[in-house]
Amino acid sequence: MKVPISWLREYVPIEMPIAELADRLVMSTCEVDGIEAVGVADVDGNLGLFRVGRVLDAVKHPNADRLQLCQVDVGAGNPRQIVCGAWNFGAGATVGVALPGAVLPNGLQLEQRKVRGELSDGMILAEDEIELGTDHSGIMLLPNGLEPGTPLADVLPLTETVLELETSHNRPDLLAVYGIAREVAALYDLELTPPPGTDPQRDADEPVDVTIEDFEACPRYIGRLFRGATIGPSPVWLRARLLAAGMRPISNVVDITNYVMLALGNPLHAFDYAKLAGGKIVVRRAKPGEKLRTLDGVERELESYDLMIADADRSVALAGIMGGEETEIGDGTTEILLEAANFDPYAIFRTSERLRLRTEGSNRWEKGVDPYLPEQAAKLAAQLIVELAGASWVGHADVHAGLPEPPVVRFRPERTDAVLGIETPPDEQHAILGRLEFGVRGEMVSVPTWRARDVTREIDVVEEVARFRLGDVPARLPTRQAMFGRLSKHQRIRRRIEDVLVGFGYAEAYTWTLVPEESEIVAVRLQEPLSSEQAVLRTSLTEGLLASARRNVDAGNDDIALFEQAHVYLPTGEQLPEERWRVGGIAQGGFAFAKGTIEGLYAALNVKPSFQSADDLPAAGRGARTDEGWVASVREPELPGEWGAFELDVDALVDRVPDLIVYEDVITYPPVRQDLAFVVSDEVTAGELVAAAREAAGHELREMSAFDVYRGGQVEPGKKSIAFSVTFQSSDRTLTDEDAAELRNRIVSALERAFGAQLRA
Amino acid sequence: MNWEEYASNALKSFAEVTTAGELAEAHTAWLGRKSELKVGLRNVRDRETGMALNAVRERLEEAFAAREAELERGALVQLDQQLDVTLPGTRLRRGRLHPLTQIRREVEDIFLGLGYEIVDTREVETVWHNFDALSQPLTHPSRSHRDTFYINDDTLLRTHTSTGQIRVMEERQPPIYIATLGRTYRRDTPSPKNTPSFHQVEALAVDRGITLADLKGTLMHFFRAMFGEGRDVRMRTSFFPFTEPSVEFDVTCFLCAGEGCPFCKYTGWFEMGGAGAVDPAVFEKMGYDPEEWSGFAWGLGLDRIAAQRHGIPDIRMFWENDLRVLRQF
Repeated sequence: MKVPISWLREYVPIEMPIAELADRLVMSTCEVDGIEAVGVADVDGNLGLFRVGRVLDAVKHPNADRLQLCQVDVGAGNPRQIVCGAWNFGAGATVGVALPGAVLPNGLQLEQRKVRGELSDGMILAEDEIELGTDHSGIMLLPNGLEPGTPLADVLPLTETVLELETSHNRPDLLAVYGIAREVAALYDLELTPPPGTDPQRDADEPVDVTIEDFEACPRYIGRLFRGATIGPSPVWLRARLLAAGMRPISNVVDITNYVMLALGNPLHAFDYAKLAGGKIVVRRAKPGEKLRTLDGVERELESYDLMIADADRSVALAGIMGGEETEIGDGTTEILLEAANFDPYAIFRTSERLRLRTEGSNRWEKGVDPYLPEQAAKLAAQLIVELAGASWVGHADVHAGLPEPPVVRFRPERTDAVLGIETPPDEQHAILGRLEFGVRGEMVSVPTWRARDVTREIDVVEEVARFRLGDVPARLPTRQAMFGRLSKHQRIRRRIEDVLVGFGYAEAYTWTLVPEESEIVAVRLQEPLSSEQAVLRTSLTEGLLASARRNVDAGNDDIALFEQAHVYLPTGEQLPEERWRVGGIAQGGFAFAKGTIEGLYAALNVKPSFQSADDLPAAGRGARTDEGWVASVREPELPGEWGAFELDVDALVDRVPDLIVYEDVITYPPVRQDLAFVVSDEVTAGELVAAAREAAGHELREMSAFDVYRGGQVEPGKKSIAFSVTFQSSDRTLTDEDAAELRNRIVSALERAFGAQLRA
Repeated sequence: MNWEEYASNALKSFAEVTTAGELAEAHTAWLGRKSELKVGLRNVRDRETGMALNAVRERLEEAFAAREAELERGALVQLDQQLDVTLPGTRLRRGRLHPLTQIRREVEDIFLGLGYEIVDTREVETVWHNFDALSQPLTHPSRSHRDTFYINDDTLLRTHTSTGQIRVMEERQPPIYIATLGRTYRRDTPSPKNTPSFHQVEALAVDRGITLADLKGTLMHFFRAMFGEGRDVRMRTSFFPFTEPSVEFDVTCFLCAGEGCPFCKYTGWFEMGGAGAVDPAVFEKMGYDPEEWSGFAWGLGLDRIAAQRHGIPDIRMFWENDLRVLRQF
C-alpha cells in the first residue's frame, strides 16, 4: 500500500518526521518497505524554480515548423522567451513554467540554451514532466486568473512523500489511507477526522433494481444511479493522488472508484447503466457454459461457483475481481450505476485463484472487507461523481439480509501481562483499546466492525494491547522443569556417517528432491511441476550425485568424491510416501575406492557387511549388494576414467549399529597370524572363499581378508591366485601350533572341496 | 694378563668408533667368542678369577650397549638432517561438510545447549498439517497452487517447518522444547535469491508460564551464540495464523553492528524470521488446555543466513555442488 503523506494528513494531523512515523509503524503495525519522494524534489530551492506563467505571445519558430516561440510572463523581470513543442495553447494561456536550474523529477536539470538558433529561457510544462499525469499530448493548462510568478507548488501538488507499507493478511483495514490514519491516530493518540464523504443532494428517487441470490457470497450490495454524467479527465489533484498511490488515472468516474477504494478500502465498480439489460443488477453464481469478456479483453470461461454480477440477460462482471468489457464506462457514458458492495473472501479468492487473476479489488476482498463500509464508500463516491462528472444522483438501493453484529469478547487485562511477561496497568490497556475504537464495558470488549474478522477472541484483544508494548518486553529465559538436550541415536549416527565420509575425502553435496520422471520407476508425482526436469520425488540419491559429478568433470575439477545424506520418498499406496534416510556417494577411484569407502563406513559403525555380486544396480556398472544397499563401478561416457558409486539405507544401517560396544579380549590369549594363498578359477570370488572358510573354521577364525590377487606367470590361464591374511584366535585358551594347523587344514580342505582351490606353497 | 688394562682399552676403542660397523668389529675383538676375555673365561679354573672376569665382561657389555644406542641415535639424527622440510607433505584428499550442514549442526548444537530436543520431521505432508492445523485461512495466497507444490488436493510438499510443531504436539504432552530442521518447498522459479527448495529451522517451547519475554531471551541467546556477543534482538508486530501475538524478529546488522549501512538498508537491523506465542486455537486442536499451557514458536531460513555470512552471491550455488565452491568451506 502506497500512502501519499499529504493525503494522510487530510485525516490525521501528523507532525513527527516521516522516518519516525515509519519506525513506529514497523514496531506496532506493519512492515515499511520505504519512504519515497515523488514529483519535484524539494531541495536547494528547487521548488521555487517552478512558477505560474502567462503566455503573452506565441508565434511559429522562424527556423522550425513544429516549434512555437513564446514570450512568457513569470512575474519578476522581463518576459522570458521559451521554445515549446506543443500547440494546444496560444497567447493568454496560463501555464506552469520551470526556470533554468530547475531539476525535473526525471533528474534532468534545465539550462538556458539555444534551440534552432533561438534562445529558450525555461520550459513550459506538460503534466507527465512533473509526475501529475501521464499525458504528453500538450502542455498543462492552468485556470486563468492565477498571478504570474506564483510558486507552482501553491497551485499544484508538485511534491509528495509516499510511505510504502506492506500490510499483513489480517489487516485489510490498512489497505486504505483512512485506515492508516486511524492506526496512526491510535498510536500517537491524535485526533482523527470523520471518514471522508457526505451524501450529495439526491435529485430524484428512481428505483434501483438489485437482487442478491446468494447472501453468503454477497452479504450486501448498494447500487446508486446517476444521470447526466460527463466523462472526461479527472482534475489534477485527483490524478496526482492516484499516481502517487501507484494507480494510473483513466477517466473521472473510473478514477473516483479507485480513489474511494484507496481512501476507504472498499473496492467499487461503475457500470454504464444504459448497457445493463433491463436496468437490473443480479448477484448470482455463473450459469453452465457461461463466458465473460473482462475489461482486460480476455474471454473468461466460468465455473458454476464463480460469483457474477449480471443484468437481466447475462453476466456483466466477475464480482469483486474485474468488470466486463461490454458495460464498461466509456467516453459516451452518461448514466452510471455505482456498485458499493461486500463480497465473501473465499468466494472471490477461489475464482481469482483459478483464473490467476489478482486485482486491487480481489486482493482486498480475499482478506475480508468490513460489510459496514459500503455505505461510507457510496457517500464519498456519490459526492465526487456529482462534483467532478456533473452528474445528478437519482436512485439508491441497499440490499442485505441483516449485517453481522461485531463481536463482543471477554477480556482480562492480566492475560496480557501473562503473555507479555511485563505488567501493563488495566487502565492503560483499556485506554489503548479505546484509541483503537474498541468499546470497553467492564470485562467485555466490543470490536470495531473493521476488525471484526481478525479480533474474535480474548487472545486477539491481548495482541492489540501487546503490539503497543512490544518494545518494552525484556529478555528472559523459561524456568525449566525438564531438559531434552540430546541427539537421538539416529541423529548421532548420521553425524558419524558424515564425518567418516568427510574423513575419507568426500565433499558433501546437496541435490534436488525433485527429479525427472522415468517410466520404469514408481515415484510420487507433483500435480503441477515447474518443469519436466523436476516432476517427481526422488527414490534414490544416485541421479543427483551423477549429475553433480558430471558438472564437476565439466568444470575441470579433479579428485572428485561427493556424498549426500538425505531423504528419498518411496510410494506406499497410502496418502503419504515413506521418507527414508539414505547416504549415497560417487567418487573417482573406481569400484575399489567406493567399496573401500563403505567397508570403512561399516567398520566405523561396528556393522559387518556382506557383499553379494549384482549387475542390476542403478549406476549401471558391475557391483555388489549388501543388506543395506549397493556399491558399483560407474561406466558412462560423461565420466571418463574409473568411477565408483554407492547408496545405503541409513535407517537400515542404524538398526544394526550396536547400542553398546562390549569389550572383547585381545590380550589374554594371543592370536596366530598366517598368510594363505589359493589358486582358483577366475570366476570364484574372494567373498565366496571367505564365507566357506568361516563355515569350516568356526569362530576361532577371527579375521580373513584378501590382500593380493595375481594372474599370469606361475598361475595357469583361466585361474588366479588370491592371497589372504588370516588370524586365528580363541577367547578361552592359547592356540597351540597344532590348533592353528588344524584350523588351517579345515579351511584348505573345505575350499578344495567347494571350489577346487589349491593352496599355494 | 692385566684385565684392568684390557677393560680400559676396550672401553677406549668403543668410544673411538663412529659407525655401527666399527662398533660391531670392536665387539668381536673385545667381547667375541675368540676374544681374550672370552677365551680367558672359558679357561678359568678358580671362583675368584671367574667372578673378576665376569665383572669385566658385564662392564664391557654395558658400555657396548650404551655406545650402540648412542650411535643409533646419532645415525637417526643424521638421517633427519637430510629431510627437506619445505617439501610438501603427503597429499590426503580432504572432504568437507556442505556449508548448509555446517550451519545446521551449529544451530542444532545451540538448541542442544538450551536443552532442546532435535526432532526429525517429514517433508511430504497433509494439507491438514501444513495449513489447517495451523489455522491458515482458506484465502491465504500460500495455499495457492501457484505458490505450493501439491501432490494432490490433500497432500503437498511442506511450505514451512511449522508442520513439525503439529507433528510433535500430536504425539506428546507438555512440557515440550524441540527444534526441527529440514527441507521446505515453495513453487519459486530458481533465482539468485530463491530456490524451490530451501531449509528452515523451527523451534517450539510449551510449558507453564511461558511469555514473550522468554521468547525474546531465547532469541537473544541463540543469535549471540550464532553471531557473537553484543547482538541485540528486536521484535516487531506481524501476523501468522498460528501465533497470537505474532512478531517478526530482527538482529543487529552483522556488517555495521547497528550503525546503519546499505546491507541493512540503514536500519541497523537485519530481518531474521517469524515468531509468536502459540495461538490457543492450535493448543485446542492438540488437546492442550490453553489456560494451563502457553508457549512460543519461531522459525527462520538457513540458506539465506549461510549465504549472507559467507558472502555467497547466489543461493543456487548451494545446489550445484561445484568442488571449487565446496572446497572453500
